[in-house]
Amino acid sequence: MTAPLIYVESCPVCGDGLCRIRVCITDQRLTGCVLCDECEAVWTDPSLQERVSRKPDADDPQCPSCGQSLWSKNAHWANIGEVCLLGWYDRVRVVSVKQG
Amino acid sequence: MATKPRSESAVNALRMIPTKWAVILLGILIVYVVLQPRLNQWFGWRLPSVASMVGDEKPAKATHKKGESTNNDTNKNETSKPAKKGKDVEPDLEKESKQETASSKKKPAEKTKIVDEADEERDQPINTSGKSENNNPSQPAKTATKPKNESDDTDPLYGFLTEVGRNRYESPAGLVYGPGSEEGHRLKHIARHLEDQPNRPGSHGVFKGGMKPFLTTIDEGYVRAKKGAKGTTKKEDDGSMVYEITFDKAIGFIGGEAGGRKKNPATKKLRLVVRGSNVITAFPF
Repeated sequence: MTAPLIYVESCPVCGDGLCRIRVCITDQRLTGCVLCDECEAVWTDPSLQERVSRKPDADDPQCPSCGQSLWSKNAHWANIGEVCLLGWYDRVRVVSVKQG
Repeated sequence: MATKPRSESAVNALRMIPTKWAVILLGILIVYVVLQPRLNQWFGWRLPSVASMVGDEKPAKATHKKGESTNNDTNKNETSKPAKKGKDVEPDLEKESKQETASSKKKPAEKTKIVDEADEERDQPINTSGKSENNNPSQPAKTATKPKNESDDTDPLYGFLTEVGRNRYESPAGLVYGPGSEEGHRLKHIARHLEDQPNRPGSHGVFKGGMKPFLTTIDEGYVRAKKGAKGTTKKEDDGSMVYEITFDKAIGFIGGEAGGRKKNPATKKLRLVVRGSNVITAFPF
């Protein structure tokens, strides 16, 4: 089975991770950001210009809007529809990856 | 002594019955002889065998009682009894039932083995080494004790880590592996680097070896990098520390799509990302 993998580019921080679009839905409001799936660095958008700092005591990367963990149930990897909704479709790459 | 007159009277009674009825009764008798041991086994009934009804022996009870046990030897004993005193048809029929009971006895025994194995696997809290430790499924007594032993093995996880909190494990060098990442736990996350993901875009560092050597290598690298030893670098990034350590020999290879294009070159380098002492990720690069 294959699934689309949406990413911006390889992570400039760790080199091994992929910068992927993560969305957080709180109070019916969708917030998008870019999250490295390896080192958990966070950016505000696919330009990878502005980093989102996390609190020193935070174990997990945080949503730039609500501050909740990006690994919480409210957050997930964006699908193509959500990427389009964020207006980032032109800035991402979509590949088909086998799911194990 | 009492059996002779009883059998003679039975024969006399048969002579009195019309042939048609005698044939039907004989047919019923044969069917009963064939089905009796099976019915006893299937439904746990205690129907008496024909031999026990005609003669003075009493194997009926023993047949299914022993049939319930998984010992084949007891089955041989019980079937040999009616063979001695039974009629001409009985030995063959009894042989059949003996084979059937033997085969049907084997089936439950095999089933219990499978159940034991499944139970033991389920009882394992975390599979640390990937090898199954259930080598003696035939010893049910050990199923109760095994999980204890296994949990002892996993107490210092992978024989290397010690539990320092709920789902938090510390290495000898002081690195902490706790909940987090997409996989739910940092150990699960770094375990992704024990296998290549050839279709993954970009590169994917793969450690050559199992989890324990991987954790040992990470620890060794961390100790060296903290000291600022030769072949190590560190840089701070938004509260995280990124260590890069070069080892004397190859520790893995570069996988992923990019690594595959370069024919998966070997690498001596490890990158370790930590926040404080909490491990975020570690992988060969």
